[in-house]
Amino acid sequence: MLLFTATLIASFTATIILNPATPSELKELAKYYVLNTINETASPEAVTAIVWDYRGLDTIYETLVLYLAIVGGLAIFKMSEEALLKTRIGLTLLTKTSTKIIALLITSIAAAIAFHGHLSPGGGFPGGSAVAVASMIIIPVFAAGTLIEKGISSTKLVAIRGAALTALGLVALLPVVRGFEIVTNQKFYPASILGLPISGSLSLYNLLESLAVASGFTAVALYLSIPEEAYKGGSSA
Amino acid sequence: MVVVLEAFTYILIIAILGLNALLSIYGIIYGRSLVKKLISLTILSDTVLVAVIFAGFYYAYPIVPPVYQDLAGTGREFLVKHASDPLPQALVLTGIVIGLAVNALIAFGIIQAYRLAKTTDARKVVETLSGVEVTE
Repeated sequence: MLLFTATLIASFTATIILNPATPSELKELAKYYVLNTINETASPEAVTAIVWDYRGLDTIYETLVLYLAIVGGLAIFKMSEEALLKTRIGLTLLTKTSTKIIALLITSIAAAIAFHGHLSPGGGFPGGSAVAVASMIIIPVFAAGTLIEKGISSTKLVAIRGAALTALGLVALLPVVRGFEIVTNQKFYPASILGLPISGSLSLYNLLESLAVASGFTAVALYLSIPEEAYKGGSSA
Repeated sequence: MVVVLEAFTYILIIAILGLNALLSIYGIIYGRSLVKKLISLTILSDTVLVAVIFAGFYYAYPIVPPVYQDLAGTGREFLVKHASDPLPQALVLTGIVIGLAVNALIAFGIIQAYRLAKTTDARKVVETLSGVEVTE
């Protein structure tokens, strides 16, 4: 409270003494992006255009960082799934039914965020994170053991993730075959297919990135849901 | 009056961001528990992300997202005067997700340290794992 009051008073004095000029219009670089996004990337959404076209290579390396962080986390744990199978009892039937409805709603909204990312606010990263939210409420309610019995193992999730990232790399590398630069969008990919605006490679990137992010965070949530007792029983030295 | 208020809020946001960063750095250095260090780290990263968003801030009314309403590009003049800056948004969008993954990695590490040392106190973890006495 004292700190906050001090900050308030300090900024008030600074305002009176300095009287700074506040910015009142868009920066030149941002103006360029806003004006040219439709012509250069066929996407009306400037943020997605920057993420996957103007700074596409940057984003692909960030995806690599994401991949390494999650694979590193899973490598520290190295759990056998037999320990997870012990946790088979979830919550009550009431909770399970309502969770089914909520998870379906979240997943459909996440799909809308991810697949319309090149036309409206959203994209692969937020869409994938929203799917991960759905899986994070499913895991405690239905218990991790039940999910593994149904065939959703972390090995499969990591495999989905690897496949999506490989496809993403192929989408980025494919223009090199025709002699363009890496991560070329409009010179190589069509702006629309059968009248459907796909903004070249942007929608492909969004789709694959949402798959990768969703499966990666689901694998993390699956591993983090292992109870301590199962760990101690599983591999205590 | 409005100009003074605009300048005041501008400086106030900068001051609060600086205070937040200082407090979280204090928490990272002096927090004894590894979990509290992680919480301070997330606060610091969120502060930096807000600062990045704030770098693209300017006064206009109304502010709209930098998205065209159709594929023909109508309303270009309006959008240049009223759109929010897309570049910080793009940087923060990826930054949040990367930060989440890195936090998950650190959380895995903390859980593993807890399982080995039976405590999350940073000094005791070092003492248990290395056998070396940690002095103040």
